[in-house]
Amino acid sequence: MANTESLENVVLELRRGVIVLAALSQLGSEEYGYSLLKKLANLGMEVDQGTLYPLLRRLEAQGLLASVWKLEEARPRRYYVISAEGKKLLPKLKKEWAGIVSVMDKMLS
Amino acid sequence: MNLIDRYVAEVGRSLLLIKGRKDIENELRSTLEDMLEERAQKAGKPADEAMQMEMLKEYGAPHKVAETYNPNPYLIGPRVFPFFMFILKIVIAAVTLGLTIATGIQIMNLSPMTAMELLSTIGKGLLNIISASIAAFGNLALIFALIERYAPASEFKMDEEKEWDPASLKKEPEPDDVKIWEPILAIVFTFIALSIFNFNPQLIGIYYLDGNEWHVLPVLSEAFFRWLPLMNIGWVAEIVLNGMLLRAGKWTTSTRLFSIGTKLFQIFILAMLISGPSILAFTAESLTKGGITDPEAVNILMLLAKQGMKFILGLAIFGTVIEVIKSAYKMVTQK
Repeated sequence: MANTESLENVVLELRRGVIVLAALSQLGSEEYGYSLLKKLANLGMEVDQGTLYPLLRRLEAQGLLASVWKLEEARPRRYYVISAEGKKLLPKLKKEWAGIVSVMDKMLS
Repeated sequence: MNLIDRYVAEVGRSLLLIKGRKDIENELRSTLEDMLEERAQKAGKPADEAMQMEMLKEYGAPHKVAETYNPNPYLIGPRVFPFFMFILKIVIAAVTLGLTIATGIQIMNLSPMTAMELLSTIGKGLLNIISASIAAFGNLALIFALIERYAPASEFKMDEEKEWDPASLKKEPEPDDVKIWEPILAIVFTFIALSIFNFNPQLIGIYYLDGNEWHVLPVLSEAFFRWLPLMNIGWVAEIVLNGMLLRAGKWTTSTRLFSIGTKLFQIFILAMLISGPSILAFTAESLTKGGITDPEAVNILMLLAKQGMKFILGLAIFGTVIEVIKSAYKMVTQK
């Protein structure tokens, strides 16, 4: 019981940091919240909507994303795209990630 | 108003204090409509109420959804928490000290009082300290909650900004530092001693029940109370010393000298008490009157009491001498 709980917590912690990188990497072109959610799911990363939507707003507030409301199919949607600042940050994050993966691979193999 | 609108309005109500509420509402509505459309397509029929209900149930309770948009889900966040704790400790210490002194003064003003009155005054004082501490805690929490919400993050860098120097570990484990509770406790107990010995000496005695009534057999004689004025000087000096320690936060040469002087003075008084006439108030006759009729038992009791008192005084002198030696040693080795 306690074990499943701590497993869930660790997995949650592990994913939390990764979602930022995942979202930034997939926002080279405009996506609205729900379409990004599905895009990530199709790529194999299921993200809770309660996690993703607030995260997008936070990244926008930090200046890493830009957003714009667009009216299409009679429904307004908010589109997010990576900002200039986000573009500068992304390669650095990718490098960090690659470093973590190679170190952990060594440790765990 | 359809279910989605109601749901969005419900989430919005929980977002009242959060910036960009309208925007969050619009985005949420648009997302829910997208989801509903997709479900309708999959089901191959137009969206109906049952479909909406199912979707909203999956999306979760409105207040939970609102929570995920709250950037500050805590009252006092990690940014200001260390500062909050720092101020809280100071405030609680000040409240405790202030009310203890106030209670001490009250005891002096009301004296002489019975044991019950004394106990109830001390009890009320304690209750005051507890309730004032709780009130102080509440007020501080409120102030810090406001700081958490409205003060810009740049105002609270605190320690992270200061570069920590590992060389600080090499310094002595600070034998000169004063733990804040030690002087406070010393002041409290000295105050209690001062007020009891000076204003309620009748409380010091052996309590016994005779029938339904409590009696007190005084323990200390005139020979003891003759030294009271000098003891008072010693106690006041003790309070002054601890007040100085509280202010300075560490021992210095002057406070150590002051402390040694005070202790030597106390040793002198203790020595006078031990060598002078008996400081015990009861005599063989008073014991007999108290109901102990066997003369042999009275003799043994008197002997025990006299030797016991000498032993206690001797122990006090021994302890104080050790304190003096420790203080002197620390003063010499102090950097």
